[in-house]
Amino acid sequence: MRKIFLSAIIGSLTLLSCTSDDTPKPGANNIETPVNYTFERDNSSTVDYNGQTTRLQMSAELFSNFTDFDNASEELLLNMFSNENSPFENASLNESSKSVKSKVAASSLYFSANTVESSEIKNDFDSYISGQFTTVKENKDVLAEAGVSGQIAQGSSVRYVNEKGLELNQAFAKGLIGGFLADQILNNYLSKLVLDEADNRSNNDAKVLEEGELYTTMEHKWDEAYGYLYGDPSIPTANPNSKLNESDDRLLFNYLGQVDANENFAGLAESTFEAFKTGRAAIVAGDYQTRDEQVAIIQENISKVIAVRAVHYLQGGKSALAEDNKGAAFHELSEGFGFIYSLRFTNNPGTDMPYISKEKVAMYKEQLLEGNGFWDVTPETLDSISEEIAGAFGFSVADAAE
Amino acid sequence: MKKFSRILIFASLIFTACSSEDEGSGNNEVNTFDRGAMLENWADNIIVPSFDNFKSSTQQLEDLTIAFTSNPSEENLVALRSQFESSYLDFQTVAMFDIGRAEELSYRRFLNTYPLATSEVESKIASGSHNLELPSSFTKQGFPALDYLLNGLGETDAEIVAKYSSENYRNYLLDVSKRINSLTTEVNSSWQGDYRDTFVSSTSSSSTGSVDKFTNKFIMYYETFLRSGKIGYPAGAFTGTPSPINVEAYYSVDLSKKLYLQALKTTQDFFNGKHFNASQTGKSYKQYLEFLERGDLANDILSQFGTINSQASNLDTSFKSQVQTNNTLMLVAFDELQKGVVLLKLDMVQALSISINYVDSDGD
Repeated sequence: MRKIFLSAIIGSLTLLSCTSDDTPKPGANNIETPVNYTFERDNSSTVDYNGQTTRLQMSAELFSNFTDFDNASEELLLNMFSNENSPFENASLNESSKSVKSKVAASSLYFSANTVESSEIKNDFDSYISGQFTTVKENKDVLAEAGVSGQIAQGSSVRYVNEKGLELNQAFAKGLIGGFLADQILNNYLSKLVLDEADNRSNNDAKVLEEGELYTTMEHKWDEAYGYLYGDPSIPTANPNSKLNESDDRLLFNYLGQVDANENFAGLAESTFEAFKTGRAAIVAGDYQTRDEQVAIIQENISKVIAVRAVHYLQGGKSALAEDNKGAAFHELSEGFGFIYSLRFTNNPGTDMPYISKEKVAMYKEQLLEGNGFWDVTPETLDSISEEIAGAFGFSVADAAE
Repeated sequence: MKKFSRILIFASLIFTACSSEDEGSGNNEVNTFDRGAMLENWADNIIVPSFDNFKSSTQQLEDLTIAFTSNPSEENLVALRSQFESSYLDFQTVAMFDIGRAEELSYRRFLNTYPLATSEVESKIASGSHNLELPSSFTKQGFPALDYLLNGLGETDAEIVAKYSSENYRNYLLDVSKRINSLTTEVNSSWQGDYRDTFVSSTSSSSTGSVDKFTNKFIMYYETFLRSGKIGYPAGAFTGTPSPINVEAYYSVDLSKKLYLQALKTTQDFFNGKHFNASQTGKSYKQYLEFLERGDLANDILSQFGTINSQASNLDTSFKSQVQTNNTLMLVAFDELQKGVVLLKLDMVQALSISINYVDSDGD
């Protein structure tokens, strides 16, 4: 131990004594951040995240079937979730060996030694599918009431809720934004465990490319993180923000756009994209300090998207309840519930842990669903959860409610 | 005074660092752990005797297979099955040594790739023609095939024995046993011959040195074969859905946990440098860490092995039944094993300045 300590000191002293004073600090050095997310080697792109695109397409097809009681079934959706028995219309998805479910609560940082919780979380998503095609489907032609699943109107749209007033498709989709996407991006691909796994650093320094590919492993891991945010086929790789709030994405990129459109959080999409570009350029330059600074920005920004939307929907639900518009209220609260579920997967770069502990997240979920759930949740409960979330992230409830 | 001398040392070191690089560092040797002695302990007291023992075991397995196939009786079946179980347990004591001839031969793949491709085995048997040397036959032979052929062909021993009235079944069973024995003979004789010296003399601390190379093998065995193979895949740790067919020794009653415990014991004993079938210990990872003043880490690793062992006492003797009745306990086992991965694959290799050059995670 002493030996290591000494050599560390010696190393730093040597560096100081041998280099000239005007050497730029690491981080300011050799990094050329391109205008677009375009990285090439020998005139060919080194960016590849087709596996992420595949999973986003699987999610999209699954959502589109979630309320199709006439044609879809519990079995079909469970098969889509785990990609078994060729469930997709899009044949290329059936041929893929990938599935969404295997990447739910599956990050190296939070779940590699925590498969018990991971399995419980995967089961939650299974249970949303099963609930939709049992208790909700059985009552699809019945008016919902406290303790009874069924239809509820929101303006001219028909919503289907379970006996707590929860729309299970919303719980599923918004829960995946955290449980699948944020977890994979923040706690897996951008975690040091993955970026610096095995000899990734030395291979990246020496530009050792993956077999048959044009990228180093570290470059690719970074692109895979990028792909979960920007990988919907309707989003251009080079300049995704050109389609901000205009893409077909219904998951994380969509909500990054919506939060960015709130003037209190304007610039969030731009700074996230800048961080992805700069971090990728830093990897090319072998500057890991700059890379890690960008990781922190992305972790904070994406975590914030989830928190802002959670508070936004709780407050929206509260307002609609005050006007006795239960259809609108339950819809907002269902989205809010999914975003609260997602908070467990946020990453506070200062601690490398969620901004809000899993115990607290579990408590919020319980408070929202206890008794008859949304049918009797109080404005006080919605406010106290909102305040706690906003407080943990350092924004105000009013800012997020807009 | 102490402070003063340190400053002096630093000053001189700085000077050294800035001067030309071709001055050899003469007195580094004094303070280094004797890697050669560790390799000798590994080879002479652990690996060689383990293979030697296993060789006798697979010879016995072949002999009893010959006895059964020449006279397929229930009595001979019971004797062969019992030898199969003890050989499968002995295999756990050599499975991690995937280096040298074993690596060249894909020894472990041929002996223990599971789940077995059962229907393909059946069609090979039906056709009466098979070539167990093909890489495409990894999933059709070895212990998983014996497991099926001795346990999975019928509900009762009489039913199983009845299958062996067919020459094709007898031939297949015999070829599987013979191949296990012949591959083992080959690996064993390489250790009895030149390979032992090659292994022991490669003391350099580079990726091609034996310590670095084998450490990668050791940790990969722990992570991929012990953690994932025996526990993680059956428990569906990566998919969320338990998968009983992935249990090792799927067709045997109550063998899976014994195999797991034997493999676990082998990895722990290896960490401690414990001689095969003896209580004595020699130079090991544990001693290496202690030498580097990282006894704390060695203790953490041992205490994690302790946790894994005590957790295992909660597991059903049949993992097939465990994943079907209370899979959470299997996931807990996985999680404890994974904590061991972190200690070995991150902390230990860092302390030993060894670089891990394999990646376990499945990327896209």
